[in-house]
Amino acid sequence: MAMTSARPAALPATDAEPALALDRADRSALLRFMLLMRATEERALTLYRQGKVPGSYYDGRGQEATCVGTAFALGPRDRACVLHRDMGAHLVRGVRPGRILAQMMGREGGVTRGRDGNMHFGDRELGCVGMVSMLPDMMLVACGMALAFQMRREPRVAMTWFGDGSTANGQWHEAMNVAGVRKLPIVFVLENNQFAYSTPNDLEFAVDPVERAATYGFPGVKVDGNDVEAVFEAAAEATERARMGGGPTLIECATMRMHGHGAHDDMRYVPAEMFEAWSKRDPIETYSARLKSDGFDVDAIEQSVVEELERDTEWALAQPMPDPATAADGVFAKADPQLGDGAAPWSRWATVQQEGDR
Amino acid sequence: MPEMTYLQAISDGLREEMRADESVFCLGEDIGAFGGAFKVTDGFVEEFGADRVWDTPLAENAIVGTAVGAAVEGLRPVCEMQFADFISCGFDQLVNVAAKMHYRQGLAVPMVVRLPSGGGFSGGPFHSQNPEAWFMQAPGLKVVAPSTPEDAKGLLSAAIRDPNPVCFMEHKHLYRRAKGDVPEGRYTASMGEVGVAREGTDLTVIAYGAMVPVALEATDDIGGASVEVIDLRTLVPLDRDGILESVRKTSKVVVLHEATRSCGVGAEVAALIAEEAFEDLDGPVVRVTAPDSPIPFSPPLERAVLPQVDDVKEACRELLAY
Amino acid sequence: MSSSPTSALTDVVMPQMGVSVAEGTIVEWHKRVGDWVERDEVIVEISTDKVETEVPSPESGRVSEILVEVGTTVDVGTVLARLDAGARPGEPHVEESTVDSRQSTVAPPVTPVVRRMVAEHDLDISKIPGTGRNGRVTKKDVVAFMKEWGERPAEPVLHTESPYVEAEPLSTVDRRLSTEPGVPLSPMRRSIADHMVRSLQTAAHCTTVVEADMSAVEAARGTLSYLPFVARAAIAALREYPQLNATLEGDRLHVHDEVNLGIAVALGDDGLIVPVVKDAHELSHEGLATRIADLAERARSKRLTPDETKGGTFTITNPGRYGALLATPIINQPQVAILDLEAVVKRPVVVGDAIAIRPMTYLCMSWDHRALDGVLAARFLSSVRAHLEGWNG
Repeated sequence: MAMTSARPAALPATDAEPALALDRADRSALLRFMLLMRATEERALTLYRQGKVPGSYYDGRGQEATCVGTAFALGPRDRACVLHRDMGAHLVRGVRPGRILAQMMGREGGVTRGRDGNMHFGDRELGCVGMVSMLPDMMLVACGMALAFQMRREPRVAMTWFGDGSTANGQWHEAMNVAGVRKLPIVFVLENNQFAYSTPNDLEFAVDPVERAATYGFPGVKVDGNDVEAVFEAAAEATERARMGGGPTLIECATMRMHGHGAHDDMRYVPAEMFEAWSKRDPIETYSARLKSDGFDVDAIEQSVVEELERDTEWALAQPMPDPATAADGVFAKADPQLGDGAAPWSRWATVQQEGDR
Repeated sequence: MPEMTYLQAISDGLREEMRADESVFCLGEDIGAFGGAFKVTDGFVEEFGADRVWDTPLAENAIVGTAVGAAVEGLRPVCEMQFADFISCGFDQLVNVAAKMHYRQGLAVPMVVRLPSGGGFSGGPFHSQNPEAWFMQAPGLKVVAPSTPEDAKGLLSAAIRDPNPVCFMEHKHLYRRAKGDVPEGRYTASMGEVGVAREGTDLTVIAYGAMVPVALEATDDIGGASVEVIDLRTLVPLDRDGILESVRKTSKVVVLHEATRSCGVGAEVAALIAEEAFEDLDGPVVRVTAPDSPIPFSPPLERAVLPQVDDVKEACRELLAY
Repeated sequence: MSSSPTSALTDVVMPQMGVSVAEGTIVEWHKRVGDWVERDEVIVEISTDKVETEVPSPESGRVSEILVEVGTTVDVGTVLARLDAGARPGEPHVEESTVDSRQSTVAPPVTPVVRRMVAEHDLDISKIPGTGRNGRVTKKDVVAFMKEWGERPAEPVLHTESPYVEAEPLSTVDRRLSTEPGVPLSPMRRSIADHMVRSLQTAAHCTTVVEADMSAVEAARGTLSYLPFVARAAIAALREYPQLNATLEGDRLHVHDEVNLGIAVALGDDGLIVPVVKDAHELSHEGLATRIADLAERARSKRLTPDETKGGTFTITNPGRYGALLATPIINQPQVAILDLEAVVKRPVVVGDAIAIRPMTYLCMSWDHRALDGVLAARFLSSVRAHLEGWNG
């Protein structure tokens, strides 16, 4: 007797013509989120040097366009598995900088309330699932969320970020394969920032990961990871394809990690010329210049970010440390999971938010 | 004898072995140009070349699995997990391939997996674990856990010389805090024997790794009682005789480990004592451990979870008064 | 809890740049005594374990003392300098002080013996702390350096090493068990305890105090207590400053239209409870007096309904009749303020240019600095005072 394998039915088409464009407010928001990420990370580094951040400190300096541009394409009911250099994605989804700073300082007001540190967090109320250190475990978790959307016939997308190092790992291949075989509604964002800790690309893989996507049954695209609008375009197209039942996409954002793997890393292994060349392509400087020439009041945007950071830093510094008596609490759940919806600042989602449940 | 830190001793031991035996080689993430996350292999690639100091891709199963293959072919690989916690990404190769090979096929797998373990520095749930109990549950693996620089060097050498897969638990908290005299040149210590860190008559504290100095500090001045501290040094094979000898002498036992409580090393040691030395006991066998929870990041929470000197003092006082 | 302005000097301490590190060396002061430094601006460069780092200033202020000179090695936690955070920015210091005599922009000379030793032992002189004049590396410094470090290169910072320095715990509850058994707290006591601790941990408590002349109220009150008058005055002030009639949960502030006034009622040894006068803004002072008396009586005889303790938007507590003058009450979560009416005491006060004897009281309000600022708190209290002092029925 022949065994027929279950293939997921085509997802229902959405009513409206999707407009994948950015209006002026969107462009302003893209710059603001990148500035907010840079400002929050700089503040966090200062706090670290002032002895207020326990443990290690990691940031994504130079990679702001990659995470902001991709996260910006997500709708409120989409889901995200954000990684440690993607603070911009958390900010786009609605996490306040103050909560991130409190998180890093191990305070009660932080997203994990002191249970995990640095960027190991995800606000479940905003539809984010927090990362683990083992990479790229979260790719498979994102596949699982995409599987749920597919099984329930929902026009929703999962997005997950990972680095060049991850592509060497077994779980990367398992995730790519599972996504391709099931045509899952998922977007894989590969942040190739040139180094996995100290390991350069040529010690990590022999074939460009983007080329390998085809062997798993779906397209791979390369974008300039420092051009936020180019990143957004690729992400908008990929999320649309996934939403319409077209399956996964691998987007490789080429960028550069301008700080060490962590604050303890002196980056001795990065060639000076390489660092120089990437310094000239700072994603925030280039986009600011572009918006200025298009008549945006960039100074006002910058000022609003400065003010937001001041307020949020005060708030974070006022948060207490967690109560030691609760240290071993919360190991087991008492109720079923509740993942909420994220903020979706892209203008395309404005009408959806008015109508639907959030 | 030169004085070294625990970290320097591991480095020294590894270097001596690589100089003495060409078949010894290292593999792990960032161990080449970067010298390793903890700088254990700092300078190694310059001395031994990129073939013998392999900067691997980000792939723990690949690291452990290729080590198995190299080992059965007569090389002696020393794998570095960047943090012990990441062994979970290479677990399959370790417990199913490496551990069971000799039992099934009579084929030895002389390899070492170095595992920087333990917490106390706000590393959070994924950089602070002590996974030794997992390995004790996979027959075919040996497990060592040095607490002094001398043992760090000596037991690493012993692990490399051993024809079996050995998990080398190097505790990160001891890296630069434990200092001591270390024999020069190539030096091999004995596996499978406890060490007596302090002799005593009233109570025994059994510990290993970073908890040995904690045990010593906690029982240094404890109401005049004479407390013996046993350093397990090797977890598999466990020195049952060494443990029981001390139990018969003092009749009161506190088992101390930083790892979480349920089914930890302490559970095994306590069960062993209850079975084999029941009639020598003058009080219950007490365990001082972390509770069954992930290791939290924030300092007040982490301190509440990891056993502190005061926790050990309290347990000892209570048992002494029993 | 009352807030005090930062009039004390702020310490700049030697940070711990590495868990295994116990000391550090001053490499260069970026500021001199008398200079203004912004918060987060680099104030000093230090070297610990031979890793050099810039230390950002913890506060803005004028550098009032520099306690440790360049080249000196001190323990982690040692105070390196003091800042006067209450000062205003002005001209940087022009003259050199004695402490600053080592600050020099010219590189100190390298003597022949130092040059020879550095070359012989292949050392990096920039890593050797100099204790000679102007930070010069002396022969003694080279010998000490070699003794400590030999000729090996500097130790790198490990992944697990962090500059984190644990500060005074911010109101965490230390629940370590004591060795004495003690008497367990009653459920009500425990509930009060939890609420109070949580309130202190959640809100940024500040207390503002205003003194009020109660003569007008005294003339009007007859057999009533002061409380209903203060309640009425507070409600009037809340209409003018509605931001104090609010609840703050997480970072969501809800300013309420209605005033549901909580009145703290003491229950003897059992503790206290806060029944709520719903829609208190609709009541006159007499109406308030009646309602408060009723709630208090039913609270003491345990006949309050659960609804009667919910929904409060502002709370007044009045322990004053026992003679206490001032207090710093704890906010009743999730409200943003609580007003404490203390004892009314006849005191000599200045009226015009003469001294008069007036019944005076301190109105003490604790408020949540997350939701509002001192100016608003003060204006609110001034309004309460104005209503009390201008009482005319």
